Amino acid sequence: MLDKIRYFILRALRNMRQWPFLCTASILTMAIALATVATFFLVVVNVEQLALRWTQEIQVIAYLEKAPSQNDLADLTQNLNNISGVESVTYVSQDDAMQRFKKQLGEDASLLEGVTSDLLPASFELGLASKFRNQQGIASVIEQLEGFLEVDDLRYGQKWLERFNSFAQMLRFVGIVLGGFLLFAALFIVSNTIKLTLYARRDELEIMALVGATMRFIKIPFMLEGAIQGLLGGLLSLFFLTISFVFIISRSLNSFWLTPSHFELLFLTPNQQVILVLSGVALGILGSLSSLRRFVRL
Amino acid sequence: MIQLYNVTKKYGGDSTAVKDLTLKIGKGEFVYLTGASGAGKTTLLRMLYSAEKPSRGQILIDQQNISRIRSHQIPYLRRKIGMVFQDFKLLQSRTVYENVAFALEAQGKKRYEVSKKVYQALKEVGLEHRLQRKPLELSGGEQQRIAIARALVVDPLILLADEPSGNLDQAVTFEIIDLFKQANARGTTVLLATHDHSLNQRFPRRVLTLDQGKLVGDQQPQRV
Ligand SMILES: Nc1ncnc2c1ncn2[C@@H]1O[C@H](COP(=O)(O)OP(=O)(O)OP(=O)(O)O)[C@@H](O)[C@H]1O
Ligand SMILES: [Mg+2]
Repeated sequence: MLDKIRYFILRALRNMRQWPFLCTASILTMAIALATVATFFLVVVNVEQLALRWTQEIQVIAYLEKAPSQNDLADLTQNLNNISGVESVTYVSQDDAMQRFKKQLGEDASLLEGVTSDLLPASFELGLASKFRNQQGIASVIEQLEGFLEVDDLRYGQKWLERFNSFAQMLRFVGIVLGGFLLFAALFIVSNTIKLTLYARRDELEIMALVGATMRFIKIPFMLEGAIQGLLGGLLSLFFLTISFVFIISRSLNSFWLTPSHFELLFLTPNQQVILVLSGVALGILGSLSSLRRFVRL
Repeated sequence: MIQLYNVTKKYGGDSTAVKDLTLKIGKGEFVYLTGASGAGKTTLLRMLYSAEKPSRGQILIDQQNISRIRSHQIPYLRRKIGMVFQDFKLLQSRTVYENVAFALEAQGKKRYEVSKKVYQALKEVGLEHRLQRKPLELSGGEQQRIAIARALVVDPLILLADEPSGNLDQAVTFEIIDLFKQANARGTTVLLATHDHSLNQRFPRRVLTLDQGKLVGDQQPQRV
């Protein structure tokens, strides 16, 4: 048994040494295919991450018909805090609102002279838990809120949310379509490269079949070879991705297009890195097996 | 050892390569298969090692009916049969030793067993001093002897040869036939397809003659 395993591994390695060009071509093709798919994956993940950042700014502002009395305020704040999904409650009194307004106007604040603060409504600003920073979440918060609060007007960036939602949907759709297409193209190219390498070695396959080798005996070294090449291709693509990523970070290209502060570009997690390399192995094995069928007729 | 009953092989539509062939070759026989080009010799041999399936009729090899053989059984059929071709079918990138060892490795033989047998088989064809050469560094006759060593190293029941000396001169051809005779003397059944009538004159044996896929002659050698 061990003798056999040793034999198969030796055969696979010797075959690779014997056909250095074909072997390199397979490894490079797989590396490029994997790196392309992984790059695309990273772009989608980062854009989505970025979009999620934006939603942190989402809050519900409830403008009140009339400012609550000092007594009611504590109760209302308490009740608002009890609504599921509400993380923070800030009361903005009419005076506060006026102060803010003045600040915003800056030099033009003089325009407001003689205007009393009851011109502007008092309001509650509700910060939301991250799970609730979407249309359904906001709807449920508003529903509960309207049960006990007399609201004049509500602001929660309706337009923006709708646009964000359709953007996220489109992103996911494009991601799936393009990612699927890329994956398919990668599979196609890899299996064709392997087919070419097998074509160059069809004599060997023919002779093996003639001298009574079983299909399994023919397959195993090729599968091993595919696995080794896939492993190398996977590692190479990971190496390539890491280098490019470090390069992008070092050029701080991220601060150029990623406006929200404290946003860090995401790289593949350790698990995803392992998956990438294992995909290479799987790609190599499947590519070899599917192409072998064409050349060995038993 | 080899039995055919009403075997017909059609390729594609109309072309019939072998027609209603019935014949028997006993264990340990040495038989020539002759006939004009296109008579169906290669087709017959290909059916015997199951590279083709007969369109009709039954083929028995060593008591086993192979006309409807399953593909996973084909390797085990081929282990009983040594094959030699006009174009040698050697692996150019492998050494002489590796080429012969290949046949044993393919059958899953142990390593120590392989090296012993390979050396012996190469010695029998007189090439034990060329172990580490590549086939292209050798003459045509030497290459064919490697191919014969590869066919015989597994101690086959049957040796099939398709124009083994087609590209070789007379002297080398006789050397090669000598090797076949030695194998035959050890009990291997030999079926040798050839155009070359000088072989039968020099080494008279049973001759099967095909013409357009039909068996038109089956002569035993004349006793002198
Ligand atoms: N793969 C094939 N497809 C279609 N026709 C074929 C095929 N192989 C052989 N034939 C036809 O079958 C007939 C017999 O061919 P075969 O090769 O068996 O003859 P042969 O006796 O070996 O000839 P040669 O002496 O030239 O080698 C020929 O008419 C040939 O054209
Ligand atoms: Mg022929």
